[in-house]
Amino acid sequence: MRRLAWVVVLAAGVAPALPAQGSTAELLGQAHELYERLEVERALPLLRQIVSPSWPFEVTREQRVEAYKYLGACLTLAGKRDSAVLYFRAAIERDPFTELDPNLFTPAQLTTFSEAQRRTFAVAARPVEPARVDPRTARVAFTIVATHAALVDVKLSAVGTGPSLSLLQGTMEGVREITWDGLLADRRLAPPGRYALAVAGRSRFTGTSDSARVYFDLRHELAPLEDTLPDLDRSALLPERISPEAARQDVAKGLGVAAAALLIAGAAHGDLGAGERGGAGVLAATAGVTGVAAFLVHRRGGAIPANVAANARRRAARDSANATIRGRNADRLAATVLLVSPAAGEAAGP
Amino acid sequence: MVIAGAAILGGAAPVAAQRVLLVAPIVSLAEHRVDAGFGVERSLGPILGAVGTLRSGPRLSLAVRALGGSLFGSNGVLDRDVGELGVEVSVVTAPWLSLQAGAARRAYATKLGRQAWTTVDLGATARVAFAGGAIRGVWRAALLPVVSVSGLRGPDTAFRGATGLEYRVRATTLGVEYSLERCDFPTAAGVRRLEQLSALTLRLERQLR
Repeated sequence: MRRLAWVVVLAAGVAPALPAQGSTAELLGQAHELYERLEVERALPLLRQIVSPSWPFEVTREQRVEAYKYLGACLTLAGKRDSAVLYFRAAIERDPFTELDPNLFTPAQLTTFSEAQRRTFAVAARPVEPARVDPRTARVAFTIVATHAALVDVKLSAVGTGPSLSLLQGTMEGVREITWDGLLADRRLAPPGRYALAVAGRSRFTGTSDSARVYFDLRHELAPLEDTLPDLDRSALLPERISPEAARQDVAKGLGVAAAALLIAGAAHGDLGAGERGGAGVLAATAGVTGVAAFLVHRRGGAIPANVAANARRRAARDSANATIRGRNADRLAATVLLVSPAAGEAAGP
Repeated sequence: MVIAGAAILGGAAPVAAQRVLLVAPIVSLAEHRVDAGFGVERSLGPILGAVGTLRSGPRLSLAVRALGGSLFGSNGVLDRDVGELGVEVSVVTAPWLSLQAGAARRAYATKLGRQAWTTVDLGATARVAFAGGAIRGVWRAALLPVVSVSGLRGPDTAFRGATGLEYRVRATTLGVEYSLERCDFPTAAGVRRLEQLSALTLRLERQLR
């Protein structure tokens, strides 16, 4: 079990795969082997080399924390409790999530580590794990820690905009998972963007304060929304009032009918003589009078009830169609899935 | 046949529903002129009838008409009765234009005999609304590519022209139209037969459903 833990630790340290880190990992591995064989006095110099400012190779944060932790463990076994507490504190300060597995460490080491935790106050939040969350059925999870009992306030806010949402306000100790339903203070789904999770704590023992902040990007995954129909412009609507020009054209239209009647009656009869000319004359007179009367009635511009009604029908049809589209869009929005991914800082994502 | 032209007015009113039934009683003052080589024979009289139109959708309509009346001859010309049954399909191709195809069976009867006409016509109708939309001017033209007359060879030339006005008040449309149908038959035995029917028609169309 211990070997497995070391493999994990070393793998984490080696992950960037740099040669210098390989040297650090190698030394850390040697120190671990000595620790496992209880050759504490031989392990201590190796661990001290790693945390020394003069150590020429790169040391990852995880490697440094492990070195401090095992320095504390070794010194506890060596009976140097005060020094052990100092090194444990150094580990905790660099990573408040640091802990000792009760199955791997002795009670004395655990007690010393607890003392270090009690004397060191820090809060932290784990980087947000990439996740795909349906807010109707699941929650976005965050993991925070306070090294000892503290009054903690956890707030979520969109970077640069909007009020913050309080996710937790109360006393806590150790690691705790909190969840977020994807809604903001106004109970609306959080819009896409960059968010910050801020953890602020005040120690119940020492009165000291600490804070931490992690960022994440939030995106929406949803079916494409439909565009609503645009407003009906003039070309899509019938004229609702008669224009003076249209009134003038009525005269021409009436004369057109009159001329056609006389033309048919006069020209087409030809060799059969002028037949039923009276009928053509009646129609021509009727058409002429109709044209002039229509002009006189319409020249001042009156409403066109049929067009008004037709336009009302068109507007109603558009409104109805838009209501349907909005309904479909609302259904799609309600099925929005949140895509969460870790981010590095305040700047908005690409 | 002139009255047949009036029947086409069934397509005048705007379509408000998917399927619409229109009925229109018709009254015409018709004049029939014939020159069969003995001078122009003229007869004049009223014709009554009705047109039923079924509109299926905004573009297509089917009209059926039945007409009948008496034409009274002048200067020794025999009086004659006339009757006609016809059917016509109309398709709206533009807001102002529709195309028609129709067939009709017409009969003239005098105390000496009876003559039957069978015609097929193809035509177009243009309608232009006056300001406000309650009045429309109508212009029609049609060719009669098939004309079969009992006892005669078919005409060389046969056409129909018409013009009129439509006045619409709610679901009712009053139409007034002048129309003329002309047939020029081929010369036979040195005689060229010419025949025409003109009419002034009033039509009151009402939407039933």
